[in-house]
Amino acid sequence: MNALETLRADAARLLREGRAKVVIGYRTRGKERAPVFITDASGAGSLVYDAACRQNLAAYLRKPEVRARRPAAVVASPPVMRSLVLLAAESQIGEGDVVVLAVGPPGEGGGEGVYHGALTLAETARLLKEKYALLAPRPEVLDRIKSLAAMSAEERAAFWSEALAKCTRCYACRAACPACYCTVCIVEKNVPQWISTAARPHGNYAWNLIRAFHAAGRCTGCEACEAACPQGIPLMLLNVLVAEEAAEAFGIKAGYDLDAEPLIGSWSADDEEDFIR
Amino acid sequence: MSSQADPKAREQAAFEPRIVALVCTWCTYAGADLAGTSRLRYAPNVRIVKVPCTGRIDPLFVLKAFEGGADGVLVSGCHPGDCHYTSGNYHARRRWAIFRRLLEVTGIDERRLFFSWVSAAEGQKFADLVNDIAEKVRAAGPFERTNPARRRP
Repeated sequence: MNALETLRADAARLLREGRAKVVIGYRTRGKERAPVFITDASGAGSLVYDAACRQNLAAYLRKPEVRARRPAAVVASPPVMRSLVLLAAESQIGEGDVVVLAVGPPGEGGGEGVYHGALTLAETARLLKEKYALLAPRPEVLDRIKSLAAMSAEERAAFWSEALAKCTRCYACRAACPACYCTVCIVEKNVPQWISTAARPHGNYAWNLIRAFHAAGRCTGCEACEAACPQGIPLMLLNVLVAEEAAEAFGIKAGYDLDAEPLIGSWSADDEEDFIR
Repeated sequence: MSSQADPKAREQAAFEPRIVALVCTWCTYAGADLAGTSRLRYAPNVRIVKVPCTGRIDPLFVLKAFEGGADGVLVSGCHPGDCHYTSGNYHARRRWAIFRRLLEVTGIDERRLFFSWVSAAEGQKFADLVNDIAEKVRAAGPFERTNPARRRP
């Protein structure tokens, strides 16, 4: 049996044995891949996994419909596995709430794909550390960050003003992100109105910066936000910038450790402070 | 004559920087108070916003200041180990380390954004700091046109 057939068989078995009440995976919809919620073992045959699966299915775990069907099994590539570990570290899910149907990144194992089996959260964290500890952002993203750093402040402001001018604040980036699980988001708080709701650039700037900041030390690099953005805003530039800083300055890589302390919310007496006078 | 004709040079000459200082009530505000009671002269360009602790300073405060037209922002509080609430400044330090990167890459760099520790005994340090910041922001020029966070009608 190849990787995909084993995945389907595992999904069917979990449902049959009652070890999962729902399997969240991907199905084919034309050239795209859409999420699918399977509650009966006979539906497991529709599961697929390939490079076109860009959505992070861990984002569904916060939905009340899914919470009512725990344990849920989730098809998870390494960044999605990291999201699941992050959610566990932040006490949003616990061992027993999810079964991780762990797949390797698309293309691993000679195009056929790799399936690691139905794992617990502890096993997932172990797998990530052993096999996927060196997950790095795409080189194009790092290159663009480098070229931005070489610009003057005015050029950088112009670049972002143009990029963010397209933002309609539809919050698709927020909906796509498993780390964005606040029931009342800062943009919905209006006493006071911190982030302007007017159709003007300053609200776009504030929203996009604060979104990236709230994901600091929590973004697992799945790129679902950028894929979801209908305006093609390069959100990963901000996410990766923050993630690199978190790793370099504080040694924090999100989603590898079930007992991790949060980046923002913990501190150390010898944190960097060369920028403070 | 030529500088009089050049509108940009005229704007620069008439430019008085607007600087927002977000300071904690226990250290830097008391330090600023000491500078005042000691009759120290410092640049009048700074508008002080007093908050209970640097840990209270949400990055949104900084954004709001730039949104409202600040040319520069200073964030200042107690030295490490001196926090009235034990660890507020440690939490803040980490937050700034990350957030300043986001501001930097989007066009608000270290010519506009400043961080410092000023204790209640450091009136002189506060006066010198504000003078230095006012000088730097003046050199950077008006932020109105290039400020990416600026509220525009």
